[in-house]
Amino acid sequence: MNTTAGIYSFRARSLVVLVLASIASAYCFLWPFFLNAHSPAHHLNNQIFSIVGVPIALAVLIVDISNKRLDAKSVALLGVLAALTAALRPMGAGAVGIEPMWFILILSARVFGPAFGFILGLLAMFVSAFITGGFGPWLAYQMFAAGWVGLGAGLLPQRIGKREIRGRLEVALLAIYGVFAALLFGLLMDLQFWPWALGSQTQLSYVPGASVATNAHRFIIYHFASSMAWDVPRAFVTSMLTVITAPAVLFAMRRTKRRASFQTPIEFKASKAALSNV
Amino acid sequence: MIIFSGVSLIYPTSTKTILEDLSFTVSEGELVLVMGSTGSGKSSLLRLINGLVPHHTGGILAGDISVNGISTRAVKPGGLAHLVGIVGQNPLNGFVTDIVEEELAFGMETLNLAPDVMRKRVEEVLDLLSLAHLRGRSIATLSGGEQQRVAIGSALVMHPKILVLDEPTSALDPIAAEEVLSIIQRLVHDLGLTVIISEHKLERVIQFADRIIHIKGDGQTLIGTPQEILKSSDIAPPIVELARALNLADISLSVRDMRRSTERLRKELQEIELSTPSEPVPSSRDVVNVRKVSLSYGASPALREISLGIGSGEIVAIMGRNGAGKSSLLRAIAGILKVNQGAISVCGVNPLNLHGNERTRTIGFIPQEPSDLLYGQSVAAECQAADKDNKIAEGETFALLQRLVPGISGKTHPRDLSEGQRLALALSVVLSAKPKVLILDEPTRGLDYAAKNSLSSSLSEYAASGCTIMVATHDVELVAELATRTIFIADGDVVADGSTVDVLLSSPAFAPQVAKIMSPAPWLTVKDVVEAIFTTR
Repeated sequence: MNTTAGIYSFRARSLVVLVLASIASAYCFLWPFFLNAHSPAHHLNNQIFSIVGVPIALAVLIVDISNKRLDAKSVALLGVLAALTAALRPMGAGAVGIEPMWFILILSARVFGPAFGFILGLLAMFVSAFITGGFGPWLAYQMFAAGWVGLGAGLLPQRIGKREIRGRLEVALLAIYGVFAALLFGLLMDLQFWPWALGSQTQLSYVPGASVATNAHRFIIYHFASSMAWDVPRAFVTSMLTVITAPAVLFAMRRTKRRASFQTPIEFKASKAALSNV
Repeated sequence: MIIFSGVSLIYPTSTKTILEDLSFTVSEGELVLVMGSTGSGKSSLLRLINGLVPHHTGGILAGDISVNGISTRAVKPGGLAHLVGIVGQNPLNGFVTDIVEEELAFGMETLNLAPDVMRKRVEEVLDLLSLAHLRGRSIATLSGGEQQRVAIGSALVMHPKILVLDEPTSALDPIAAEEVLSIIQRLVHDLGLTVIISEHKLERVIQFADRIIHIKGDGQTLIGTPQEILKSSDIAPPIVELARALNLADISLSVRDMRRSTERLRKELQEIELSTPSEPVPSSRDVVNVRKVSLSYGASPALREISLGIGSGEIVAIMGRNGAGKSSLLRAIAGILKVNQGAISVCGVNPLNLHGNERTRTIGFIPQEPSDLLYGQSVAAECQAADKDNKIAEGETFALLQRLVPGISGKTHPRDLSEGQRLALALSVVLSAKPKVLILDEPTRGLDYAAKNSLSSSLSEYAASGCTIMVATHDVELVAELATRTIFIADGDVVADGSTVDVLLSSPAFAPQVAKIMSPAPWLTVKDVVEAIFTTR
């Protein structure tokens, strides 16, 4: 039986690509702990990998998820939400870590699923870089991290046992996830920035070639020093906005999803007689 | 050109059959009108032609639809884009770009045409639709009629063989509607274009239609020439209602034909001294008082030193072209816009100083898009909120709604209602506060005759209870039916102000069909004519 075009979803092959892309980018986030980057050449390799490798992995993934069975309405939905999310991001700019974009990403992913959330996270970060002028080596990291936030929100359970998670329970779940996601994003951003942030002289600086334990210790202290300023406000704002907007926004999005009739069956029958059997 | 054979349609979410066993053939160069009440499936029928239904919406389609030899089950809507041009109900929703020329080129860009071909076709269409002087304008600054022409133009540049129009004149003033329809008529005659059009305001399109498809809403569908269909249909424009009321053998569709067939009758009636139906003029006109009000947006003035007074019990129609200043005037009276000069008082108070409950009890305002007033997640929630705000018994607003439009489920989302139902909901929410002045901006857009009748009778009833009603509208038939007084605005000035009969009869473009036929007799509606004949015989 035919159906109308579906919304973005992972198929077996795109899951493989997602895992590979995630490993590649995880490597990019975590290299300071593994590599002995004493030689400048090695160092350069890493940068090139993050600037070239991650975008390629992302491109492959987007192409793979979004090929074939898409039509105007899924593209339009993604476009509108990505534009909205991207436009919301600089709304709080200037204030520490207050980016009122995460709640839209989390709520959209909750309604439209993990694959949609992942692509929305990527696209929203990418588009907001146009608005804020935030192009740079960090963009690929930000995109991937936002993608993970969306993916995670989409993977939150829809039901406990047979009971659907809706209403207050759902809002609470999303608010808690909002705190978690905001802190995770902060952690990842610190991780990619830390090796370059402080120069090589301070107590918290990255020490090339030192043991994992040493660097991890230094990183964790650095992270907590910075996260007080950035991640805690971000987590607070995200979960607050989620609690305030979730009932209305979830309702509106679920209605959109229903009205857009994704994957609604299309049947063609020969004549009216066949119709009466339905 | 278009062949429907045994087409039935069911949407997956409902059990109702939208269309049942519909078969017809539209040949090249025909102009076919699709009529039916709101929600009967007109839009579904139009969308079946280019495959949006069921490819985009889902659903079960029985039978076969072939468009220029291509079956819609075999290709996606995109595969018919070069063949079928479709223009939606609200042209603004379909625009992608900001500038007229760019909008015209956009469709061709997506079809990947060569730049020199695109340039040539844009020029052609600019000339064909007389848009050349607007080519560099921003679409947002165009009038409704111009926007509709741009929308039709952007469908035409792709050289479709079929043009599908969903209510192309519903938002337009009578003159702009005339302009759009005469262009469509010319396209049919000059280019042999096949046109399928759906429209509620039948009086505007009926004379152009070669055939009518009447969707009855219960799955039944009638197809035939306008005369055949209109002889017995429950939906009919005033001209047909008049022919029926006068027991004429033939149904005429144009004012000219109708005047010919009523020649004797009119002569007979002329010999008898007729009393002009006159409306009582209220003793004082101070419920709404507007003194020398001017308002401008940037450099362009919207209202120029307008003065008027309106008394209680009056139903005042505000008419004028798109962009004449009707909405600005109503918004200023409602206290939404601040005027630059002059003073407005409603029930003795400046409307800008009204707040909260005092405001809802004094002024009720229904904007052009009634859903702007609706925030609730269901009809029931909306009604309960209104009950609570106005401190009236629970369920009263919902009861009012049921009286206006029976059969709305309380669980429906307000935005899922039909245009007429949504207006009724907004109206009952506003009326539940019992405002002394009720202001409606363009309420008949998208309403069928039944919904319009129920609107006009409930408004008359409300005015009879001593309240004042102001309506801005393009719908002359509604004005003829409803209003006691008509104010005509042009370019921010009051051009005419008087009883509806006087004002409507003095301007041929804005005269209702019945008035055009029976002129010079001062009758506006079928009811007026029947009453006059009844009293004389």
